Amino acid sequence: MSNIYNGVYSVLLGMVITLRQLFKPSVTHQYPYENDFEINDNIREIPVGFRGQLHNRVEDCIVCKKCAQICPVDCIHIDARKPEKGGKMWESMNVVHLKDQTRIVGIIDGKPPKKIEPDMQFTIQHANPEGTTHPDIPAGATVKISGDKVDRIIDRKKVVLFMDQFDIDMTLCLFCGLCTEVCPTECLTMKDSLEGIEYSEFDRENLIYKFADPTLYK
Amino acid sequence: MLAQSTASEERKFLELKPFSDEMVVSMGPQHPSTHGVLRLELRLDGEIVREAIPHIGYLHRCFEKHAENLSYQQIVPFTDRMDYIAAMNQNWGFCLAVEELMSADPKFAGVPERAEYLRVLAGELNRIASHLLAFGTYGMDIGAFTPFLYAFRDREKILLLFEKLCGARLTYNYIRVGGVSRDLPPGFLDDVREFIDYFEPKIDEYNALLTNNKIFLERTVGVAIMDEAMAISYGATGPNLRGAGRKWDLRKDEPYSIYDRFDFDIPVGEEIPEAGAVLGDCWNRYKVRMDEMKESVKIIRQVLDGGLPDGPIVAAMKAIRPPAGEVFSRSEAPRGELGFYIVSDGSVKPVRLKAKSPCFCALSALQELSRGLMIADIIAIIGSIDIVMGEVDR
Repeated sequence: MSNIYNGVYSVLLGMVITLRQLFKPSVTHQYPYENDFEINDNIREIPVGFRGQLHNRVEDCIVCKKCAQICPVDCIHIDARKPEKGGKMWESMNVVHLKDQTRIVGIIDGKPPKKIEPDMQFTIQHANPEGTTHPDIPAGATVKISGDKVDRIIDRKKVVLFMDQFDIDMTLCLFCGLCTEVCPTECLTMKDSLEGIEYSEFDRENLIYKFADPTLYK
Repeated sequence: MLAQSTASEERKFLELKPFSDEMVVSMGPQHPSTHGVLRLELRLDGEIVREAIPHIGYLHRCFEKHAENLSYQQIVPFTDRMDYIAAMNQNWGFCLAVEELMSADPKFAGVPERAEYLRVLAGELNRIASHLLAFGTYGMDIGAFTPFLYAFRDREKILLLFEKLCGARLTYNYIRVGGVSRDLPPGFLDDVREFIDYFEPKIDEYNALLTNNKIFLERTVGVAIMDEAMAISYGATGPNLRGAGRKWDLRKDEPYSIYDRFDFDIPVGEEIPEAGAVLGDCWNRYKVRMDEMKESVKIIRQVLDGGLPDGPIVAAMKAIRPPAGEVFSRSEAPRGELGFYIVSDGSVKPVRLKAKSPCFCALSALQELSRGLMIADIIAIIGSIDIVMGEVDR
């Protein structure tokens, strides 16, 4: 008799807990139909620094091949050659890391200071929206920012080699993020936006990203 | 010649020969309750299991051999894929071993204080996530679907925290040799506090939902008793050993990192005569995990209350090049003692790497545990020893 009582009681106790859940808002969503990450409050945002698809800003890449070296699965293939005489050479852009973990890609005057004081002023010119995660910065804009917001600044590096091939095989990539950590100019990044997550393709070839742009080097 | 080789392969696939009234059934590798790809070969007499032989290797990825061709930093993302449910603790176990090797090098200053706190924070959050998954899937194996949804709802909150912390949901690659990869994002500690405040009362809710449910008790209490001697002889560790009544936890008994600074208990299994619970039965192994989540919450609360020290998050070093030597280091992962044996010749790559997996030891006890029980009890055993096939096969 007590066996029946115990059985019924513990089932009812579980039912009470599930019944309470009935009156709370739903925690799931219908993914392909509700993927608007901004309008619907129920759906989360992709956090800053998410490790999504790899992306390379080729004009800032100095072809140092450190990423290809550190990659545990060898999914990055780089081919480079020495520049011809009179070839056009340039320096990569600065990357200004802000304290709220966003970054601005642009050019600051002179070399970045070793220690950033709060009363310093930085003027970032020719801002590049590609790679910039700080909101509302149009292409080529000039941004003034004070030192108390800046975390660190990546120095400019000279481009020394012509890039013939820069292929990343995303079918092999294991999204460890080691390549983005060793990149000296921080041109190789992982997308922390919706397009960094939704990358399905019908053709396998489309997942081999080819970044090399021969028109850059003249 | 050809016929012979086929015969031997057949024997390899089916090891057992049934007696007249018995039959041999293959369970898995694709089976919802084998927690991965595990094939069990069952010799059945009606519904009674005479013999159950686990066949492993369906997820074998040559981790140990592969590691010989990778530098120490490159191995870390591969440890993620061993026990993918608790990848932080796998990263940590491997890094502890390399750091022990490095400690012979006078230039290596040791792991910074802040990194140790971050490791404890991440490791304990991951322990909760792992036990939540064990709790949820165990309920589902036994036939209760609701706990699974509840567990995944709360595990999702931890995954979102990790996503902010290190940018990945499952394969974190967060703990590195000499420290951690990223510092805290702004507002992270408040999010963690909000989570544990939300989560702590939920554990009692789970207990009301599943742990003390009559149907669940009938399925698990007194089933498949692994007593202390048997657990030790099989090398089973973690909740499986503690469920058998042995108070053994590396975080307390051989404190690594900064675990000696925190105040927490080690839950062990208990005998409850009125319910019929015996030391080392399925229910006790399960109950230890539920109690451990509370202790993890306690540790996280102490980290948050004490505050994190400032400073670097990774030890300054040029390259990870441990001096020649060998080391065996172990740490307390959610599923038991995770060991790494590394031989170094002073180069950037290990000469030999061996991982001692707690799940492998626990799974080896299955054959003895299941003898003479019903088929349905096998499901209860696999869920209660909480194996992850990625770690068994490596």
